[in-house]
This record gives sequence, C-alpha cells and structure tokens, in this order.
Amino acid sequence: MNRFMVLLLSLMVTSVFVHANSEHTLGTQADSMKSSGKTYHQSSSMIRKMHPEFMNHKRDKTLRQGVRTEEYSLKGCVSCHASKKDQSNDYHAIDASEQFCSTCHQKVAISVDCFGCHRTTPAEGDK
Amino acid sequence: MDSKINRRDFIKATTATTAGVAALGAGITLTTYVNANENPVTNEKRWGMLVDTNRLTESDIDGMVTACQKENGWGNETHSTGDQKASWIKKIKVKDTATQRISNLALMCQHCEEPPCVDVCPTNASMKREDGIVLVDKHRCIGCRYCMMACPYDARSFVHEDITNQKEHMPRGKGTVESCTMCVHKVDKGGQPACVEAVNSDAVIFGDLLDVTSNIHQTLKRVQSTQIRADLNLNTAVRYSGI
Repeated sequence: MNRFMVLLLSLMVTSVFVHANSEHTLGTQADSMKSSGKTYHQSSSMIRKMHPEFMNHKRDKTLRQGVRTEEYSLKGCVSCHASKKDQSNDYHAIDASEQFCSTCHQKVAISVDCFGCHRTTPAEGDK
Repeated sequence: MDSKINRRDFIKATTATTAGVAALGAGITLTTYVNANENPVTNEKRWGMLVDTNRLTESDIDGMVTACQKENGWGNETHSTGDQKASWIKKIKVKDTATQRISNLALMCQHCEEPPCVDVCPTNASMKREDGIVLVDKHRCIGCRYCMMACPYDARSFVHEDITNQKEHMPRGKGTVESCTMCVHKVDKGGQPACVEAVNSDAVIFGDLLDVTSNIHQTLKRVQSTQIRADLNLNTAVRYSGI
C-alpha cells in the first residue's frame, strides 16, 4: 500500500512539473528581451492585472480618434509574445492552446475574444 | 580694423539668420507631423475623394478593386455565396437611358457627412471620425445589419464565415459588418488609400476637402462634379465628375 502511495505521489508531482514547464515561454521576442536583461513593461504584476483595461482604453482611442501609438496595442502584444514553431520561421497562433494568452486564460476560464477578428501571428513583411 | 558694418555684410548676416530660423521652423513643423498620431484627429480636416469617370478605364477600376482586396485582405471567403461575399469597392456601370451613354465607376462607402448607417446603429458601432471617415467599430458591432439596409450605396458587407490570417492592420471577423475605411491606417500615417495609389493617372484624387491649397480642393473648385444621390443631402466625401 505504501509503495502504491509513493508511486501515486511521485506521479502527481511530476505532472505538476510538466505543467509548470509548459508555461515558461513568454514568446520568441519577449524571451530574448528578458534574457538580455531588458524590460518593456514597467511592472509585470500591473500588466497582468490591468491589461484588459489598458487595451480597452487603447482600442477606442485608436479606432475612434486615430491615435496609433505602440503602447498597449494588440499588434504590439502579438509581435513580442507569439512563439516560433520549432525548426521553422512560422509562428504558433498566440491564442492556441499552451501559447502565451491561453495559458492564463484557460486556467481562469475566460475566453479571449480579440482573435475572432485580430490576426494571431506577427505579420511577415507588412509592418 | 574698421568696426563699421557695411550694407552688404549686414544683408548677408540677416539673410543667414532668417534662413536659419526658417529651417528651425520647418523642423518644428516636421516634428508636429510625426507626432500627429499621438493626438486625436480633428474636424480641421475632412478626407475626400474625387473620381473622374471620363478618364477612369474599366481596367483602372479592376485595379482599384484588386488593390483594395490586397491591402485589406477581403475577397477570398470560401464558404460565402455570391451575395454574401465581401465587397468593399465595386465596379458599377451606369447607363443614361435617353442617350445610351455608359459610364463605369468605382463605388465604395461615400463617407457621408450625415451617414444614415450611423443614425440607425443601435450600439454606436457605426461611427464617423472627426475627420469625416465613416467606420464600423467591430468591438461594438452586434451584426444586426441595420446599417446595411440604411446605406443608399449598398457599400457595406457582412462577414458570414470565420476568417483567419487577417491583415495586421485590418481585423475582420465573423458576425460583424465591414466597409471601405478609406484605408484609415495609411491615411493616419500620411499615406493615401490603396485604390487611389493603384490608379496611375490622376483620375482619382484623394485629399483634404477643407484645405484650400490641396489638389482636391482646387480641382473641385474648377471642374463640374456631383454626388451620387445628391437628393438625399448626405454631403458625401466621395464625389464623381463625368456622370
């Protein structure tokens, strides 16, 4: 019985680590930025908590008033946080399972509506 | 050494200073222009277009449609049937029944000053920017299509299917209405709409209708032009000459 418990516990622990491992990527460009010691967001807790408000505010300013700055633009999020596929120059869709947006959004069970309309990968060439 | 400044030297010095100040002035104007995207658009401008149907050939119009599709990424919907397909700009033939004269014209959103689509929208998704460009705010659009019924120019389309691989600057999605944006993403950066760029001649002119020095203002002052369905008093920003 004890042996069985040990096996069960070790399996559980492993699965936690596997799960934690799959969440580490910030996206290709964001990862390289982080490893070179640069920061883009002033505070990561702030952006984690407030990004819906920041983006809601920004989208109205952009669409209705023509303010096209980079700060809090969805285009900017995607260009840094999308991950490249292994051995390829293509990107994973940012809202795909296990990718940057969905790792948190799946956990809290909130759907990401942005990508019903917005492009899910950085555009090649036409920037 | 003679400390008196003679007339020639004085003029030289003054000219140099004036030139310097003028250059600085130009620099300041340039900076304002670059930063323009940080400031909301204002009603000091009103963007408009003039289409000369006498000079616009059928192939020109096809080129305009293709350029629009390429720029904004519409036209490759696979599951939509004929009427359901997006058409932001289309080629229209008009025939004078009395004289049998046929003219071809490119018809797109006319960017009315008094847009009926904005009047009927229940969610304020259909909106007009301060500079006169009429847009759909797809964040608010519920897909009721009242605006499509209200538009006298049949300028709007409804997206009937899931769209992927959109252009980065032009989000498009199922269940929302869309139409010509006058390439607002380019205009905001000082550019011109894709359809205007596609025409080699100046059969289509784009510019600020309120700017008295602009080509479009000068041309409209000189040549005869008309609004389509002028009887509706919508004061369109897209005008046509030769029909």
